[in-house]
Amino acid sequence: MKILVVDDSATMRRIITKNLNSAGYDDITEAENGEEALGKLEGIQLILTDWNMPVMDGLTFVKTVRTMDAYKDVPIMMITSQAAKKEVIEALKNGVNDYLVKPFTAGTIAEKVKGLAE
Amino acid sequence: MDVKYINPFINSVVTTMEMMVNTSPKRLAPFLKDNNIARGDVSGIIGFASQEIVGSVALTFPEKTVKKIYSVMMGEETNGTNEDIQDTVGELANIIAGGAKEEFSSMGITYHISIPTVVVGKNHSIVHKGGTHVMVVPFKLENNAFFMEISIKLKNNWKKNNR
Ligand SMILES: [Mg+2]
Repeated sequence: MKILVVDDSATMRRIITKNLNSAGYDDITEAENGEEALGKLEGIQLILTDWNMPVMDGLTFVKTVRTMDAYKDVPIMMITSQAAKKEVIEALKNGVNDYLVKPFTAGTIAEKVKGLAE
Repeated sequence: MDVKYINPFINSVVTTMEMMVNTSPKRLAPFLKDNNIARGDVSGIIGFASQEIVGSVALTFPEKTVKKIYSVMMGEETNGTNEDIQDTVGELANIIAGGAKEEFSSMGITYHISIPTVVVGKNHSIVHKGGTHVMVVPFKLENNAFFMEISIKLKNNWKKNNR
């Protein structure tokens, strides 16, 4: 499974990638903002994206992906510090399939990714 | 500054550290800051703003503390206050500022947060956005100190309608 990890923090990208690797997912592409991610969509089967990023934020990125025929059904999980319920609802309304609030425990990502991958 | 607006950030610091480094930080007595100088070697600062409030929160770490945090988070050592450390501090500030939102929303307050900025160096200065007092909340993570600074101002129109 080809997974795209989008986060402006290199530390966070490494943590997420490490967690995915130890869960057996090793085809990971990384991008540091929504705009860079749009250029790396080819063949991607699952997207994990941050919300708060410079250049293009995660919500704008998700909205854009959902307008693209080839990717409008790719599962997307938002992994973000934005913890208010209103924000979770806004993200889900705009095409996010699952939502994970930072900080998270190592096992949670793997569990949620498995759920989305099915 | 009303303590009820400080507590969500304190709780967010505690939760974040418990999850990221598996240790519960101990909060020490807060005090008001009388200059701009930081108490550590690297700081992550995030501004927040909404119709109701404006302000900023900063996390300042002595080099020793942040190296320890990094090694627990990443499972490897790193040197000095390099790019990896700066990125980690910025992201911790982001997580803490975003994490406080849930508790604020139960008070009817929402806000947007900025992208974190990171400042390094001995005696670096931190510029806050609240235009009001800066409160420092010291923490101890086992034997390592770190500091949260917070400056928060309620906007006048909101105060009048909600008190
Ligand atoms: Mg971010």
